[in-house]
Amino acid sequence: MTLKKLSQPILLLTTALVFFYLIQFIVFTVPQAQAEAGGLAQKIFYFHVPSAYALYLSGAVCFVASAGYLYRPSDTWDSWSRAGAECAVAFGCMVLLSGPLWAKKAWGVYWTWDPRLTTLLLSVLIYLALVVMRAFTGDGDAERKFAAGFGILGTVNLPIVHYSVKKWGGNHPTVVGQGGGGLADPNMRIALYLGFLAMTLLAVLLLIARARLAQTNARLLALEEHAAVEGLLESP
Amino acid sequence: MGVMQTPTPNPTSTPKTPADRAQEFVAVQGGPETTSAESLMVAAYCGMWAILMVFIFLSWRRQQKLDARLGELEAALAKRGRS
Repeated sequence: MTLKKLSQPILLLTTALVFFYLIQFIVFTVPQAQAEAGGLAQKIFYFHVPSAYALYLSGAVCFVASAGYLYRPSDTWDSWSRAGAECAVAFGCMVLLSGPLWAKKAWGVYWTWDPRLTTLLLSVLIYLALVVMRAFTGDGDAERKFAAGFGILGTVNLPIVHYSVKKWGGNHPTVVGQGGGGLADPNMRIALYLGFLAMTLLAVLLLIARARLAQTNARLLALEEHAAVEGLLESP
Repeated sequence: MGVMQTPTPNPTSTPKTPADRAQEFVAVQGGPETTSAESLMVAAYCGMWAILMVFIFLSWRRQQKLDARLGELEAALAKRGRS
């Protein structure tokens, strides 16, 4: 087996090991936070924030690939754009599910129309619309270009999500980054860094898998069209 | 200096005896958050894994569809080769 063939199983195994270590570390080692932050429910943070980061990463891939497709259309750019949007929806759903459950304990409600929550919901809905559009419309150049424009729009919204707390305030905590108090306990910091590592590995794995799937689909579609011209198959 | 507000029972509407409690439910404003942090944390982690599993399942199903289309193409090519 070549190194290229081994790279994906190695990536998969590394991701699984990091996740396994992270979960046991969060459960058994990381201390509970103060009651105002949600107490034990604050441990959701170690997956919630890295999921949001993975959403940004997937969005960035979607943005670069969409721009690449608009500049020079190719199956490769389109596949990565599609994969970026699909992964952004998956990670966005993780953030939107874990956040309200933590908020219920920390704020007393599942949802408020806080600037960050609202802008994040908008971003995820844009990516979801893009994924649904790609699933139910054709795979022509016009559809791909429209999807690329949509992908760029979805990612342009991400910096607004990130800076919404600083710009407009709201309930959402700002522990990490400028203006935040940080994580007091060293184990809390280790858990967060491990969370970032685990979600980065997972995002890379899912992005590669989905992009390859989209590329295979595009190649197969081209072969089917060729076979239909030759009279081997009915038009796909 | 602000005075801490605590939920004050309304003497006219709060049940006083066990019989009252069994026969009437009274709406109250505020009160402490009672949802268990443990159950919220478990729900969040299970939900996130469920989303991931659904995503992997959808990818697997899409791969199955591609395999079926590929098989169809191979069969058509083999049929042509025989004739």
